[in-house]
Amino acid sequence: MRHRLVQWLGNPWLQLALEALFVTASETCLKIGAAETTRVKGWEWTGLMALSSLWIWWGILFVILSFLCWIYVLKHIPLSIAFPLSNVVHVLVPLSCWFYLGEYISPRRWCGIGIVIIGLIVLAKPVAKIEEKL
Amino acid sequence: MILIAIFVFTVEITSTVVGQLLLKHAMEDSNTFGFSDRRVLIRFVAGVFGLTISFFLTIGLLQHFDLSFFYPIQGSTVVIITIAAVLFLREHLSMQLLVGSLLISAGTALVSLS
Repeated sequence: MRHRLVQWLGNPWLQLALEALFVTASETCLKIGAAETTRVKGWEWTGLMALSSLWIWWGILFVILSFLCWIYVLKHIPLSIAFPLSNVVHVLVPLSCWFYLGEYISPRRWCGIGIVIIGLIVLAKPVAKIEEKL
Repeated sequence: MILIAIFVFTVEITSTVVGQLLLKHAMEDSNTFGFSDRRVLIRFVAGVFGLTISFFLTIGLLQHFDLSFFYPIQGSTVVIITIAAVLFLREHLSMQLLVGSLLISAGTALVSLS
């Protein structure tokens, strides 16, 4: 059971998906934390006052986790595949902001999200070939 | 002023691309030599340094320029990194990969412009 879990977690494609999710989570948490601390007086220009928010600390944790996932991905997947795929965050972050923060997504942004998704689908065949080699 | 901005922007994109290439090279080499190898460590640290420079230059550029000017060009890093990986890391480039990268780049720019 444990061996299966380690094997499953060791899958570089899963790590790539986790990297994108962690980046999305970090952006959302950092946004909430930054909004919470706009009224905290002090060295505003440094952004250090934001550290008083727990959301910021969660954001920092997710940034670290996303970086750890990313360097693991780079070990196993070509950069020319991994980097374009990692840009799925440009779909996930607006959707996350829309869902959790109630932010508005303009029609132009929906078009951009659609084009990114089409780009990811086009990349599916090269990804499948890499998966066979892995 | 505009020349300085172009210079800073070029440095920012270059440091992003170089940082990612160095990180990739280091992680690939770590499969063979392990992380205790000096060359792997140097490339890893240099890669992280490059990405850190890129991060702070991005913040600096955003302080002076609108997102509508900055992000569409920033979105082109997807294509630049794909081509750089082919040139410097000898990765395989197919038409599908190039088209997919271009679409993601265009979509990223459109999302950021909105």
